Amino acid sequence: MSIKIIKPGIFTTIQDLGRANFLDHAVPISGVMDKVSARIANLLVGNTEDAALLEIVDGNFEFIVQENLLIALVSGPADFKINNQETPINRPIFVPNGAVIQLINNRNGRYSYLAVAGGWDVPEVLGSKSTFVTAAFGGYHGRLLQKDDVLFSTCRLSKQNQILVEKLKGETVNYVKWSIPAIQFLSSSKSVVRVILGTEIDWFEDLAIADFFTNSYQLSQGNRMGYHLEGSKIIRKKAHQSELLSTAVVPGTIQVTGDGSLILLMADCQTTGGYPRIAKVAEVDLPICAQLKPGNAIHFEVFSLKEAEKLYLELEKDFQKLATAIQFKIEL
Amino acid sequence: MALLFNDIKIYQISENAISIEFAQDISEETLKIITKINQFIKQNPFSGLQSVIPAYTTLTLYFNLVELMNDAGLKGQTSIEKISGYLKSINLETKDAKKTAGKLIQIPVCYDVKFGLDLEELSSFYQLKKEEIIQLHSSAVYTVYMIGFVPGFPYLGGLSQKLMAPRKQNPRKTIPKGAVGIAGMQTGIYPLETPGGWQIIGRTPIKLFDASKAQPSLLKAGDKIKFEPISISEFERMEKKS
Repeated sequence: MSIKIIKPGIFTTIQDLGRANFLDHAVPISGVMDKVSARIANLLVGNTEDAALLEIVDGNFEFIVQENLLIALVSGPADFKINNQETPINRPIFVPNGAVIQLINNRNGRYSYLAVAGGWDVPEVLGSKSTFVTAAFGGYHGRLLQKDDVLFSTCRLSKQNQILVEKLKGETVNYVKWSIPAIQFLSSSKSVVRVILGTEIDWFEDLAIADFFTNSYQLSQGNRMGYHLEGSKIIRKKAHQSELLSTAVVPGTIQVTGDGSLILLMADCQTTGGYPRIAKVAEVDLPICAQLKPGNAIHFEVFSLKEAEKLYLELEKDFQKLATAIQFKIEL
Repeated sequence: MALLFNDIKIYQISENAISIEFAQDISEETLKIITKINQFIKQNPFSGLQSVIPAYTTLTLYFNLVELMNDAGLKGQTSIEKISGYLKSINLETKDAKKTAGKLIQIPVCYDVKFGLDLEELSSFYQLKKEEIIQLHSSAVYTVYMIGFVPGFPYLGGLSQKLMAPRKQNPRKTIPKGAVGIAGMQTGIYPLETPGGWQIIGRTPIKLFDASKAQPSLLKAGDKIKFEPISISEFERMEKKS
């Protein structure tokens, strides 16, 4: 089963849950920016959570279906059309051969995920199908999707995939009545982001740390490597003007640059860095950050590592439950 | 941050990553200890371990939290408790760090001005002839302290004081793959085409990073390298091969 790209969007790549086994080779983790949305998209079509899917930034993405296809688009509110008809999202959809699918925009967020039954068929590189554009490997020939690219799904359909296809297939577009939006799995506030304290927290003036936790920060610009946050500058103590010796950093790390600005590291970030770290965004709140649009503001709230770990493990359990629940709905 | 042993600190940088800090400063001694423990942990991984990342003074363990927490063999309620227990069991302090001499790897470099874009400029800056710069750069043995910045990029120690040079005033938009450069007290090789502000003195035809290999980075922390001057024709022949 395949699709042909008509409009590629500004930065569409194939991603999965990333590659964490080569960090000592300075190969970044990569993978989807918003793990919650992506995992849901895969589960909705009966895939395992780690299947390769399309990560679409904003909108202006359009393709034609060249054979019957079972898809799910997980996104915040968006204008999504199949054959020019508004179509509901966050659910499995059967799409017949010849249909034209358009994601016109993404009104409140940045990243949308398009999963297909069986996953997109690209080779695994270093244990993952994720694209790392900077070094041109992984995903679809190591690059962004372009007009006229033809993308195949794998033929390895699970029992869940098959049951869903059987249930929904026909001459026309068909979808289920229920939906699973990502917000069910995120903290209720979209502007408060919980962080654990960074290793170099002592390097900064007490007043600067107070500013960090009371003032808001705005996303000025960002890409898959990192987000620049604008707000109160974070001043270092006089005793800590020296450089930090480069050491490991991970997505979610908030670095303070020489002029006191903040960079929130994201999926494609370098594996090591030399800027002092003021905080690290909790894994469970990282999807909220990923979805920020330029100009959106957030507040940081400190919480303990113990809580962060607990919430992380709870989210994993919630996903196990979701997988079972979807399986149940599919087989019903 | 907690003290694991005298001078060895352990702290969490993420729900799924813990760093061990062995020292405050860069030294060959610290590198040897880190290399030794890195090898040991890789050979005796705990449940969920995904990467062990050496840096100048730290070793970072990146892991799958669910798998780690499901391991009933490691005691503790939190990941740091479990990993501290694991680290204590391997007895970090008494590990003999003597037998860890890394490999000596020869890196062929063509220092012709065709590739050594800044050689002329550096020659007047150092008040040295080009041949002297090449001689100084290619006679030293360099130590790989860590791989970082971009896939396969080695942080090297051992540059001659005489070759210290500031970064370029205006960074280049693209530096070709394989370019060998100098910045401050560092020398290094660009594994990929990237923008960069280093002074470029030559280029290697060999690949420092190959995503199709099981070990994609040619170099790793603890290795020793030496630059071997080659001619343009040798460069072209080797480039075709690789």
